Amino acid sequence: MSSNLQDPRHPWARLTAAARTVPDERDTAAPYGFATRVAALAFAHEETVVSLFDRFALRALGVASLLAIFSVAWNYRVLTAEPSSQPVTFASSEELVMPAYDPVAVVLDIAD
Amino acid sequence: MPDEAVPAFDLAGCLERVRQRDQGAARELVDHLYPLVIRIVRSHLPRRVAEEDLSQEVFMKMFTRLAQYQGAVPFTHWVSRIAVTTCIDHLRAQKRRPEFRWADLSENEAEVLDAVMTNENDVQANDAMASHELVHKLLAQLKPDDQLVIRLLDLEQKTIAEIAGLTGWNQSLIKVRAFRARRKLQKLFQELKRKERS
Repeated sequence: MSSNLQDPRHPWARLTAAARTVPDERDTAAPYGFATRVAALAFAHEETVVSLFDRFALRALGVASLLAIFSVAWNYRVLTAEPSSQPVTFASSEELVMPAYDPVAVVLDIAD
Repeated sequence: MPDEAVPAFDLAGCLERVRQRDQGAARELVDHLYPLVIRIVRSHLPRRVAEEDLSQEVFMKMFTRLAQYQGAVPFTHWVSRIAVTTCIDHLRAQKRRPEFRWADLSENEAEVLDAVMTNENDVQANDAMASHELVHKLLAQLKPDDQLVIRLLDLEQKTIAEIAGLTGWNQSLIKVRAFRARRKLQKLFQELKRKERS
C-alpha cells in the first residue's frame, strides 16, 4: 500500500474518487415557510436588542441625569458658598469617634 | 425563438432593502441563498444536527452581521464563510468521535474497503455509494478542522487558496492541517490493514 494518500493507487484516493461520483439529488430549494420564519426571527431579534437598549440604557441615563440635577440642587448652597479661609479643626479627638451601633456591647449588656 | 429570460436576482438592491428593514426582501434573500447554504451545510453536517436548524443558524448570523459586510468580497463568498465557520463550530462542539471498526461497517462497505486495501483496481461504479459512506466514516475519525480541510481538498477538490477564502485560515495552516490529517488517515489504513477483515 502506497504511503502517499494522494497517489491514485492509494485506497483513500480510490475511495474518494468513487465517492465524488455519487450525485447529491436532494432538493436544494428552501422548505415551505423557511424564508418567512427566518426573516421574521431576524427582525424580531434586532428589535429585541434595540428595545433592551431603550429599556435599560436610555432609562438609566434618564435616572442618572435626574439624580445629578437633584444632588446639585440639594447642595446648591454649599457649592455656591464662599470657601472658608480658616482651616477646619476638630475640638477634641472624641469628636473624631463616630457614634456607632456596637453589637458586642449589646451582647455583653444582656449577659450582665 | 429567444427564450424568455428569467430576470437575474438583484442582490445589491435586495441587500439595500434588507438594510432598510424590508422583511419581504429578507425572505427573497433567504430563498436566493438557501441552495448555496444547504450544500455547504450538507457537506459538513455534524452528527445529530438537523440541516434545517444549522441553515437557520447560518442565516441568523448573516442578518446579525449584515452591517459588517463592506463589499470587499462577493456577498456569496461572505455567506459561504459564515456557513463553513458555523459548521466547524458545531463539529468542534462534538468532542466524541465514533471509533472506526470493521464490525460497524455494512456488508457492502466492508467488501469495498477490503477490495481497495487488497488490490489496486478502481472502485466499481455500483459501489460508489458504499465508498461515499466509508469516506465519511473515515473522515469522522479526524479532528474537526482537519476533517474540514480534507473534505474540501479531496472530496470537493478545492484549492488551498479557495479553502483559505472559505475558512479565513492562512494557507500554511491549511497545508499543516492537511499534512496532519493525511498522516492520521494513513495510520488508520495501516491499522485497518493489520486488523484486516475477519
